[in-house]
Amino acid sequence: MRERVAKVVLPAAVGIAFVAAWQVGALHVLLDLESFQLPLPSEIVQALAANLSKALSDCGVTVSGAFIGMAIGSTFGFLVAVLATTFPSWGYGGLVLVSALNSIPIVALSPIMNRWFSTGMAQKVGVVTIVCMAAMAINAYRGLNDLKPFSLDLMRSYVATKREVFFQLRLPNCLPSVFTALKINITSSMIAAIVSEYFASSTAGLGFGIKNNLRKAEMAMGWAYIVVASVVGIALYLCILFAERRATRWHASQSAGAETPSGEGAGDKA
Amino acid sequence: MKKSDGISAIAWTVGVVAVWELAALVLAKGLHDPMAASKLPLPQDVAATIAREGATLAEAASVTLSKAAIGFAIGAFVGYMLAVLMSVSRTAERIAFPYLIMSQMIPVLGLAPIIFNLVRNMDASRIVIASYITFFPVAANSLSGFKSVDLEKRQLMHSYATGLPTTYAKLMLPFSLPYLFAGLKIAAPMSVTASILVDMLGSKSGIGVKLLYSLYGGAMDVFWASVLVSAAMGILSYALVLLVEKICLPWEAAAIASAGRAE
Repeated sequence: MRERVAKVVLPAAVGIAFVAAWQVGALHVLLDLESFQLPLPSEIVQALAANLSKALSDCGVTVSGAFIGMAIGSTFGFLVAVLATTFPSWGYGGLVLVSALNSIPIVALSPIMNRWFSTGMAQKVGVVTIVCMAAMAINAYRGLNDLKPFSLDLMRSYVATKREVFFQLRLPNCLPSVFTALKINITSSMIAAIVSEYFASSTAGLGFGIKNNLRKAEMAMGWAYIVVASVVGIALYLCILFAERRATRWHASQSAGAETPSGEGAGDKA
Repeated sequence: MKKSDGISAIAWTVGVVAVWELAALVLAKGLHDPMAASKLPLPQDVAATIAREGATLAEAASVTLSKAAIGFAIGAFVGYMLAVLMSVSRTAERIAFPYLIMSQMIPVLGLAPIIFNLVRNMDASRIVIASYITFFPVAANSLSGFKSVDLEKRQLMHSYATGLPTTYAKLMLPFSLPYLFAGLKIAAPMSVTASILVDMLGSKSGIGVKLLYSLYGGAMDVFWASVLVSAAMGILSYALVLLVEKICLPWEAAAIASAGRAE
């Protein structure tokens, strides 16, 4: 019980202290900022409350684009991983290529997609698709191929066909890695969607909102958009976490795993 | 990486260029798209532009890369120190880790214009954003590295009555290095992206400026050349981290194919 209290109270206290220091202006003094540069938390909340419906509709545009792109990109990435597993001698090169795609800056992709697609939504989905593909391909490939020692031998001793090995051994084995990839993709799809809106011709979405408000020097509203984006990001992340807990309850990583940096389970050793 | 893997990677690259060539030809000759040169120019045209504009592109790229590198180094250092602190003190971990997780979920690049507005200085905001982006994956991965040290090993060190500094120097730090590199590999292309983005927000030099000016100025050949150069920069940053890892951790070279283990 004390453990739990310490786990919640300590970080919460530090967080509240930080926001309080920000509100009374200590942060401004510390960083040598004027209040028009960094709005106070109360101003951000007011700006958000005043424009809540606009912020929510912009948020819906961005999130739906991010979500569609993530679904397409993750599916493609998974297929690449499956292909690379099925045809190991040729598949690996494809995997290398997909990870090279991962290193292409979003800001370079975004204008290209702008040329290819006429609508802002298609452009956004295109960017997010490419961004999400690599993480899924790499992680799913690892999950499909990092099998427990002897499990493949066991399958062989059962004279299992390649197909049976895939569906009964590899596929369940890759589930935790797929969730790791989804967790990465949730964050990066939101980032990609927002950044691509900076360059799109669209006039809706969080990215456009941030850009537009900063141009009009309405800093508080720009910050309010960031708050909305963060809250949505955290909510989506929690959804994936919940689905992961339900789907991989049987897996060892749920009790002892340290493979994800998110630390659930990993932090409870001491 | 096996030799056949290298061959298959080359074959794939050739295949992609061939598909690109074909698609560009179809777009220009088959469909008579008037925008063909801007939608998808022929690969050899882009290569010619890169050769022609090589000097200016390289200069712009080096400005962007060097700024990204400074931010990357600062972020990596801070992230690693934070991981050490969190592994030493459970109180520090309790306070900091929830915020680490949360900070990962904030669309950091979305913050770029705001940070620029705050700092009002191109180079400073570039470095701030690149280091902010770097520090999370480094801290999270290194911490998970510190945590994966076997308890038996720590107990052995304890039984030798080694102090905390020696335990870290001899056991914890070397053990965490592969995890540190896993974090660096994720962060390197991201810090390049951040630096390019800041270029585009109103810098005077850098590859992002080239991208933006050629885009709005209609110089599509330069635009495509800049896109390819920035893509190459991202890949280069990743390859550099891989190279440093190979030099620093030769015993890990065998496992290098499984890049980014703890992402």
